[in-house]
Order: sequence, then C-alpha cells, then structure tokens
Amino acid sequence: MLELNDVTVGFGDAPMAVTEATMTIARGERLLVCGAAGGAKTTLLNVAGGIIPRLVAPRHFSGSVSFDGQPLSTLSKDALFTKIGIVTQNVEDQLWDLGVEDLIAFPLENRGVEKKLIRRRLQILLDELELNPLRGRRVLTLSGGERRMVAIAAALAATPVLLVLDEPTTGLDPAARARLVRILAKLADEVPSLLVAEQDPGAFKSVAENVRLLVSGRLSEAVAARTIMTQQEPWLEAGILPPNHRTTCTPSFPAGDVLLSVSGIRTRLARPDGVPVLRDVSLQIRAGEHVALIGRNGAGKTTLFQSILGLAKLAAGSIRIGGEPADGWTVARRARAIAYLPQNMRRILFNMTVLEEVIFSMTAGAAADDLVRREAHAALEKYEIKGLAEANPFALSTRQQALLGLACADAAQASIAILDEPLLARDLQGRRMLDLFIGSMLSSGRAIMLISHDLDLVQDVASRTLILDEGQIVFDGAPQQAWASSAFSQLGWPAPTALSTGAAA
Amino acid sequence: MKRIYELNFFVKLTGAFTIMLVAWLAPDWRFGVPLALLSLVFLSVMQVPGLRGYLKGAALLVLLVMASWIGNLLLQGLSPADALPIAAGMAARLITTTAAFYFVMETSTPGSILAVASAARLPPIVTLILSLTFGIIPMLREDFERIADAQRARGMEIDNVSLPTRLRFALARGVPLLVQAIRLAHAISLSLSIYGFDMNRKRTTWRNVGLLIEPRLAHQGQTK
Repeated sequence: MLELNDVTVGFGDAPMAVTEATMTIARGERLLVCGAAGGAKTTLLNVAGGIIPRLVAPRHFSGSVSFDGQPLSTLSKDALFTKIGIVTQNVEDQLWDLGVEDLIAFPLENRGVEKKLIRRRLQILLDELELNPLRGRRVLTLSGGERRMVAIAAALAATPVLLVLDEPTTGLDPAARARLVRILAKLADEVPSLLVAEQDPGAFKSVAENVRLLVSGRLSEAVAARTIMTQQEPWLEAGILPPNHRTTCTPSFPAGDVLLSVSGIRTRLARPDGVPVLRDVSLQIRAGEHVALIGRNGAGKTTLFQSILGLAKLAAGSIRIGGEPADGWTVARRARAIAYLPQNMRRILFNMTVLEEVIFSMTAGAAADDLVRREAHAALEKYEIKGLAEANPFALSTRQQALLGLACADAAQASIAILDEPLLARDLQGRRMLDLFIGSMLSSGRAIMLISHDLDLVQDVASRTLILDEGQIVFDGAPQQAWASSAFSQLGWPAPTALSTGAAA
Repeated sequence: MKRIYELNFFVKLTGAFTIMLVAWLAPDWRFGVPLALLSLVFLSVMQVPGLRGYLKGAALLVLLVMASWIGNLLLQGLSPADALPIAAGMAARLITTTAAFYFVMETSTPGSILAVASAARLPPIVTLILSLTFGIIPMLREDFERIADAQRARGMEIDNVSLPTRLRFALARGVPLLVQAIRLAHAISLSLSIYGFDMNRKRTTWRNVGLLIEPRLAHQGQTK
C-alpha cells in the first residue's frame, strides 16, 4: 500500500537525517518504528505521512514514495490527507484554539460534509475514543494527554486508510497509554493500517505486528514484534532501552539538610466540583535525595510544582526553601533556588543564543563577567552541546533543548531541580546525560524532584516516591514499597517492567 | 460560559459597530463619558475574561489621549476649561469603541466564528480571515502571559522592580512572542493542510447556528 524507495532526506548542512530508507506498509499491517531521540523517526514519519516534501521542503530529498502504486507527489493534498491521517510528535504543531468538537469535525467541515453526517461521526468518535467528558472544552485548555487523544480523533474523522502516529504515548499516564492501545486494537477494522514511531517499544508490543529500528538515519529490515520484544541486543545496538530492560544501579547519597519544606498547602485553584486541586499537601526534600512524584493525569502534579514556585496561589499552608520561609518570596526568587525543567523546553526559553540561556540561568539577567562565561561554556561542554553555543535555542531539536535545560539547571547551582517528564530517559545516550545530571546534582548536596509517568525510570533512579492522587499525597516512601502499596493499587497501573520481568538489579 | 457569550458572532459584531457609531456620533462628553462608563460596567457585569488587563490598557489609553489632545488644544489657544471636555469626549469614544470590540473578541472563539461563517456559506478565505482576526489575539495574549511566567520561573525578577524595568522586560518578551506567533502560524497552516481545508470549497459546520451558536455537542439522540 505505502511504499518508500531509497528515500534520503537532509536539512541544512547537517548530515542526512534519513539515508536510503526503503520500507513497505501492506494494507492491514501495523508497523512500529523505534529509534533513539533525535534519530530521525519524525522525519521518516513525516515522509510516510506526506508532510515531507509536500508541506515542509527539506534542503535535500531523493527517492520515491507511493500509495497504492501512485506517487504521493501526484496526489492532490486533499486526496493524500484523506487516505493518510497523521498525528505529529509535538501535537501542538497541529492544534489551534478550537473546541474539542471543532477540531475533530474540522476535516469533515473542510470537505463540505453534510452537518447530519458530521454530527453522527462526532458522536461515534467521542464515544469510541472515550472523549465524552471533554465535550465543549477548548483544546488548548486540555492536558497534553487529552490533546493527543483529540488529535487522534481528528486524524480518524475522515476515515483514513493509514494512521501515522509519532510518539503517541508522550505525556500519557500508564492508564491512558493502556486506553490508547486498547482503542487502537478496537479500531483495527476501521483503520486498516498503522505506522507508529515510539521511543518506548514496550507500550505497543500488543498492537504492533512488525518492528523496524532506525539507527543513525538508516532503517533496519522489518522483524516480527513478538520475536524482537523479548530480545535485548537489537535494542541496545539501536541505542534504545529494551522493552524488558534491566535496571541500572544508581548510586545513592546520604540525605542531608532539608532543602524544601511544604506544609499543609491548599490551593485557591479548584476543580469543577469546587474541591481545591491540592489539599493539605506536605512534603520535605533533603539534600542528596531524588524524589519521584507520580500520579494520574490531572492529579495535581503540575499545580504542586507551580505552588512551590509561587505560580499557583495558595489558600493555606506554607513553603520553606533552604530553611527560610518563602511565602513572601517572588516567583523569581524561588526560581533561583529551584530550577524547573519542563518536558517542552521551548516554553521557558527566551534568549537569542544557547550560551545566553545558560548565562541567564547563572545571573538571572545581571551582567556576566568572564568567569561566568567560562563556566557557562563548561556546562555546555559537559552536556555535549558546546558546538551549539551561538545557535538560537528555538532552532535546536527537542533533544538538544532538553540537554540545554540540563546545562542551565546544573550551571545555575539551584538547590533543587524539578524534572517534568524528561524525554531523554528512553535511549541510552539520553539516559547517560540524565545520569550525568543526576550525579552532578546529588553529589554536590543538591536534590531532584522527578515528575514522571515512566515507572521504569522512577524505579531506576529515584530514592523516594510520592504518589499524588486527587490533590493529596497518598504515599511517601521507597519506590519498592510504593509498587506494593494500596495507593499504587488504586491507580490501577502495571508495576515497572523490571519488577514484572524479575529483572531488577 | 455565559449564555450571552454564545450569541451569534455576526450579531455581536453588528452590536459593536452600532455602539461604536453611537459613541462617535455623540455630540459631546456629557453623552460620551456616561456611555463609556456604561460599556465598562457591561464588561464587568458580563465577567469578560482578562478584564483587569483590558482596564489597565484602557487607563493608559485615556491618559495618552487626554494628554495629547489637551496639549494640542492648548497650543492652538484654547483655555484648559475648553480643552478638557473635548479631550474627555475623544477618550470616551475610544473607550466605548475598544470595549465593544473587546467584548466581541473575548467572547467569540475561533470555532464559533468558523461555524457562523460556514453556516452563512461565506467563501473559505473570508471564514478563515474572520476567525483568525478575532481568534488569534486572545491566544497571543495568553502566550504573552505564559512567557512572563516562564521568565519568572527562570529567575527573572519582573514583579519586584521599578516600572521602567518592568516595561523593559515586557518589551523583551516580544522576541519569544514573535517566535510563538510564527509557530502558531505554522501550526494553523499545517492543520489547514492535513485537515483538508480548500480555498475553492465552501465549508460546512457541525454546529446549529441561529441567534445563538451551539457551544457543545449534546450526547446521543440530539443530532439534527
């Protein structure tokens, strides 16, 4: 059905992103493409999905792409995107300020479909994708996971023959991932073919029939998923953590002084039923600790770090940073002690060069002397992005921006770093950088708070786990105890892979 | 969302033009100032989103208009007693006009504008321009606030500083805002392409459109 022949794609002066990629997706096939972050999975999927070179023209493109024997370049845009539905990795790239129903109906409205038929299709999609609670909401007010599900519904609206999903589990909690996989299995008759790119192969092991690995822009032969999912070597050779990876032994550091103390906080921000998003939340983080915060989408994790930073207003409770009462501190003053690294670093970048970003982290906008500049260069070198010092931060790849975030937080000497769903965790190179950052922070008497849905990562690196449910901390203890707790059972999530396979170190 | 927010976009737009016309035809400040105040009270009663920011901008506008007009009129030889009511009348007209269109802009989502324009079978290009013109400004304003929060969260002191410094930092937000605006344009362009928007084909809408615009799709059994 879809055929790529000798496709090579290159951007700018960089080496080719994809080299001589050849693959076929047969009608009914469900193909999973895996590779390390920055390994050109998105480029490959954009080629398969018709975005490259039709909508985004790279500097170099060669090879051919055809659908049912017809070159994609000869298909009209309308015909092309009727046959192929695509959801991009950064789902914000294809959303704007529409309502949930508006976005899902958009492809049908644009094609002049009759109102009665659009409404019928909307009802079906909202039901099948379990999106009924989101009716009437603005897309931009949804959580990342909810946005992704709405974008998938929009991609399905015009009943495409091939659905292309780029990193669809990003931002989804384990229950939402399971729901996505269940829905994709349920829609097997409706969407005959599926092409998925993922960094986390385990998520799609029950859906994918075949797997191809993308290593340095080169695509491997297709292998049966049931065969490769049980192996270690092919994944490690591709630079990805295997689906049943063994946990690494993260060095532990003795807990020192209390760096952050949150006492009985209640937020002014409330849920639709009037209950505060956070209620009576108390916790302490000590020097040398790596605390993981887990919880369902919408449990209040984002509000918790916003409260700590002063971005969300409190109705009750207090916060101490470094032993001092911080309730009267401005956000900026708190931020100089607590570095926040969101998953999408673009949200917090605003300087014109990479070097200026690091210098800003160190000086908070004050003048920088030679020593500061030297230390900023050293931080960039440490995280292997020294060559990008004069690049514009917005021109970096997602992976490079994540590394820049680590360099900024490390150089800022903040006593605590809050890592919100780090994207670097699933491939070996990224994990090496993350481990470097963790070691650097903890060995120098600082601490980390990790907010993540990646339970394998939590199991690997955290020294303590907090479970947040419906605005309250319902568990606080060692990760091993967390998985056995009733609070974790309440979430209904599977335990980390290493525990279920008995691979924990 | 309040029921009045669901009013047909074209009805709101007609209302705003009418109020603007009345404001500009008003003979002097004795009519114009109460109308401007009434407009502000209306925005407050309707709890229009972002009202605090609008009021700050409106206050700045009044100051600038009053100062420039009074200065100009004094230079032309008018007495302060004569210049003041003229300047007040001009400021009132601008406040009434901006308040009327602020209400339209803040209470009309791009989706609802797309719906009325599509239901009216307007050409796709008109539909798109209308929804982007009125829909994109609130989005950019939200982005501006989000960027300020990002700057705070990176340690930039923008609250506890002098007014000139605050203004300088606000101007510095222009660069990321520009980047965000370009990204937004790219997102809209991509979504139009992959979701089949065609300049040569008139759109339809899932919404029921009348004096009010249907805000959400009801559960099964209510499709028309």
